[in-house]
Amino acid sequence: MSDAGAAPPAAAPRTYEFEFRGDGGEYFGIWIVNLALTVVTLGIYSAWATVRTRRYFRGNTVLADHAFDYHASPVRILIGRAIAVGILVAYNISIAISPIMLIFWGPLALFLIPWLIVSSLRFNARNTSYRNVRFNFTGTYGGAAKAYFLWPIIGILTGGLLIPLARRVRDYFYINNHTYGGRPFRTEFDAGRIYGIYILALAMWIGFIIVAAMLVFGFAAGMTPIKIEPGHGSGMPSPLLILAVLIAEIVVIAIGVWLTTQIFNIAVGNTVLDGRHRLGAGLSGWHMSWILITNIVATMLTLGIFYPWAQVRLARYRLSCMSLEARSNLDEFTSEAFATQSAVGEEIAGFFDLDFGL
Amino acid sequence: MVEGNYFFPLSTRFVAARARPVNRLLRIEDMQGETLAEFRARAVIVSARMGRLPRSIALPDGGRFETPDNDGVDALKRALGLGNPGRFLDMIERSRNWIALSLAMAAVLSYAFIEYGIPAIALALARATPPSVGTAISRQTLDLMDRAMLRPSTLKPQDRARAQALLARVAQQSPRGPKGYHLELRHGGAGIGANAFALPDGTIVMTDELWALARNDEEIEGVLGHEMSHVERRHGLQELYQASMIPAALAVVTGDISQVSQLAAVLPGVLVETHHARDFEQQADDDAAAKLIAMGAKPSRLADLLERLETSHCGKTGCGSASWLGSHPDTDARVARLRAETK
Repeated sequence: MSDAGAAPPAAAPRTYEFEFRGDGGEYFGIWIVNLALTVVTLGIYSAWATVRTRRYFRGNTVLADHAFDYHASPVRILIGRAIAVGILVAYNISIAISPIMLIFWGPLALFLIPWLIVSSLRFNARNTSYRNVRFNFTGTYGGAAKAYFLWPIIGILTGGLLIPLARRVRDYFYINNHTYGGRPFRTEFDAGRIYGIYILALAMWIGFIIVAAMLVFGFAAGMTPIKIEPGHGSGMPSPLLILAVLIAEIVVIAIGVWLTTQIFNIAVGNTVLDGRHRLGAGLSGWHMSWILITNIVATMLTLGIFYPWAQVRLARYRLSCMSLEARSNLDEFTSEAFATQSAVGEEIAGFFDLDFGL
Repeated sequence: MVEGNYFFPLSTRFVAARARPVNRLLRIEDMQGETLAEFRARAVIVSARMGRLPRSIALPDGGRFETPDNDGVDALKRALGLGNPGRFLDMIERSRNWIALSLAMAAVLSYAFIEYGIPAIALALARATPPSVGTAISRQTLDLMDRAMLRPSTLKPQDRARAQALLARVAQQSPRGPKGYHLELRHGGAGIGANAFALPDGTIVMTDELWALARNDEEIEGVLGHEMSHVERRHGLQELYQASMIPAALAVVTGDISQVSQLAAVLPGVLVETHHARDFEQQADDDAAAKLIAMGAKPSRLADLLERLETSHCGKTGCGSASWLGSHPDTDARVARLRAETK
């Protein structure tokens, strides 16, 4: 009030928390109707189901009292799926005629996959808006090929030594190519931090394998899939085998989720929009594991009924740990003009629904 | 009149505003009543209603009106003479009856898919699989088992020769003929014990322990007939396909192909596969019985061996605990069925 001639108030940062306002019961209705209509229409409705699901989750994602929105047209997704199914059928028929056709499909997939990745990311970004302004994805085909093929191969060829770096390349590709109203997202972080996470996860892995090797050895016999014995061919696998598989699954998921979450925190937590608005992410790796594992167990025990609540629960926790430290009231963004979004690949990608999970 | 926020064209900048119909025009005005935008009703796009999501009205100039007042927007659409095609979907998504109907339908169809769809698809896939794939799978499986669990056979040469002769004899009864099968003898050891299994390419593996357990040639012939049936009917490949069908179906239905959801689908996949394995065993028993009868032997010979096998696996430690083979309550049923076919 009294500071005459002070700097404009826009410089004072203000932190907004993300929040998820969806409700499991409400989503259950949407989900089960989606499922029933998809089956009744022999899959055709799945395009509408996909759009409704994405709209429900984005529309319930709220920042500073404004919701995100999703605008994709189901018909475009349907066309894309039809083309994707056509490709799959062509693939299967040609393989059935002659396995030599694999020589042709292999390299084609190599070219197809980066294109699908870029198309899918662009399609979803452009169809997502916040406060009347759209997102966009500007990554290139070459960038995707590097992030999803070249670097992972380098990572493997170096005996895994460069896998954390490959992971960073992928996160940079994903985040740094997204824009909002034409303004870039930018993340940057030390390779050392990502190496630390991988080394910790590896240590946990080795610990588990040592313990498991001692326990599981006796049950290895049960793992062969096409074993058919005359005397005991039917009935259930023994409870011990089920337990062993369950424990192994749980540990695999827990460590994997922990790793992914830690990296997510670093990658997103160092992201700056337009050079001044800073994203924050403080998810707990073990809490995420807990949510995902209990979600799986509850979904299996309820024969799938719990699935909508599981998804809502996950979204709620994830978003409750994220924030935006804004240097303005975010009034300054304006939509860029896109070329019409007619590229077929954007819709094909929808079929494969590539899940990057960052 | 609906209250909400008006976003200026192509911008995140907004003011509190009201939307109301003026003849066939949609007018957006600020709280003082100043007009901010006005368009023909047909030129605006109103988002479909879904749950409690905020509604938006996209304006042709890139402006946008947003409001949480769903009923207000529906009334506005009516006043403007606009259709409301999305209303039905939203209605059924919130109606208890429709949800119950959808749930019942999903349950019935899932059951039908697991019970009838999966075996039918697996059979079609198994038939379409080129023999080279079956050969590759068989070679890898035997290789893996040789390294992990099986040991070389310790049977005497004359016993081995007799086993091979029995295989050739039973194979006469099979459409594949003696050339379609190949017998591998192994020592099962503690992990496998008395056992036999078939691989998709016609390889039949039998353990020394099973050989020792049999009291006459006809019992062995019964086992070989049973395993040959698995090969003829491509049961091995079908089981592989069945186990992978559940993860695939879940991915299609939920649209979720993350690693986590795939891992979660492994166990249900195995359970469904074992559920159908019962039918395969029964089929193989019936085929074995037919072969034995054609060769002038009694199907009850196989039943005798099954009973002894049950005792040998479960006798010492009890079925439920230490042995992963576990107890199989339907061994009795299989024995009874084979005995019945003997008459």
